Amino acid sequence: MNTNSNVYTVIYTTIVVILVAALLAFVASKLGPSQEANEKAETVSQVLTAAQFGDKEHWQQIGNAATLAFFAENVLDNAPVVSVAELKALNYRLKAGEDVAIPVYEFNSGVRVIPVYGAGLWGPVWGYIAVDMADGLRIVGAYFDHEGETPGLGGKIKDDPAFRAEFVGEKIDALTEGNPFDIVKGGSPAGDLEDSKVDAISGATMTSKGLEAALDVWLGAYVKSLPAAAEEEEEPSDE
Amino acid sequence: MSKLKETILNPILKGNPITVLVLGICSSLAVTVELKGALVMSLSVIVVTGISSLICSLLRNTIPNRVRIIVQLVVVAMMVILVDQVLKAFEATYAIDKQLSVYIGLIITNCIVMGRIEAFALGNKPIPSLLDGLANGVGYGLILLIVAFFRELLGSGTLFGIPVLTQFGYTGNGLVILPPMALIILGCVIWVHRSIDKDLQEK
Repeated sequence: MNTNSNVYTVIYTTIVVILVAALLAFVASKLGPSQEANEKAETVSQVLTAAQFGDKEHWQQIGNAATLAFFAENVLDNAPVVSVAELKALNYRLKAGEDVAIPVYEFNSGVRVIPVYGAGLWGPVWGYIAVDMADGLRIVGAYFDHEGETPGLGGKIKDDPAFRAEFVGEKIDALTEGNPFDIVKGGSPAGDLEDSKVDAISGATMTSKGLEAALDVWLGAYVKSLPAAAEEEEEPSDE
Repeated sequence: MSKLKETILNPILKGNPITVLVLGICSSLAVTVELKGALVMSLSVIVVTGISSLICSLLRNTIPNRVRIIVQLVVVAMMVILVDQVLKAFEATYAIDKQLSVYIGLIITNCIVMGRIEAFALGNKPIPSLLDGLANGVGYGLILLIVAFFRELLGSGTLFGIPVLTQFGYTGNGLVILPPMALIILGCVIWVHRSIDKDLQEK
């Protein structure tokens, strides 16, 4: 048989590709449920890490089941876990200007966790910002994750604890509409905690900007949903 | 039998893909910060090179010559996706898969995989091809683990996450964690390998 003829080549490659696609689809559907369970536990562990219940390694050590149980025990109102895919869907609606309620988690420790989602350099970046429930704006913790940012540069939003630590103590700016938080070169001068700014990552401008845009969209929507903040906002303008 | 033995031993020692052929350097620099990650990466590459070589060898007489690289690529890509999916499905390996992030997907660009298929599997019977693929993966993994051993021990003072040097008051050396140190350690491994094996020395 002439394996170099055009017809043979076309038929051969078609069959190979169809077989491979069928196999991959079959495997993906079989492994799907356990992958989703892992992803859910991962999301929960990120939320709990942001909420300062323990560091990321702790949740890994105690395992998926214990992490989910801890979450269920401490979260208020039985808030359901919102997957990253759902955040993505919400992000489209938020960016289209729709008035969407942001899924926040509230914990019995007095911490509220706000999800954020946006586009980094190579793919989505997302994260969780924990604020003090008492005033609703003071950040007590943060955790970020990404799909494919460059390791060592953009990947630092997840891998570098120093980057996350910068958010702690900062305040979300409820007064400037559309710009509740900045990630900029230089960050806060002399550790100013009131200016809603943290230092961007050197060499990862696009990731930093993408994360800042995500914070602006999601925290902006969160600020709007705060009734107390709106009143405070009006007071200075009255005077 | 001796030929089969050589097929297995050559890639691990005299024809080691990293230290002698200098292939697969990029991932050996990137995933050798910790032994755990290096071990999972090694096992993944062993599976991918072994099975891809086997499949390509089985197909070797039917593959149209003009599109052989594309067919090899499809087979390798399939194996990489399968490995990635399986790693994601188990609780024990999920975190490591997240940590290795893009590097699992980048196994497809590992020159060792395509190199062995093109150079060996397309011209040999399935069983030797499988062994050649597996042995090359082992040769790759061995170097990865040696580099990761020194980087984790000196960089973090631990082995497989268990404190070793830190128990004696050792503070992890941040420089060893950084990629340039991987290159230096790898250079040392190549140096030692060459000084032991006289055949590898250039006249």
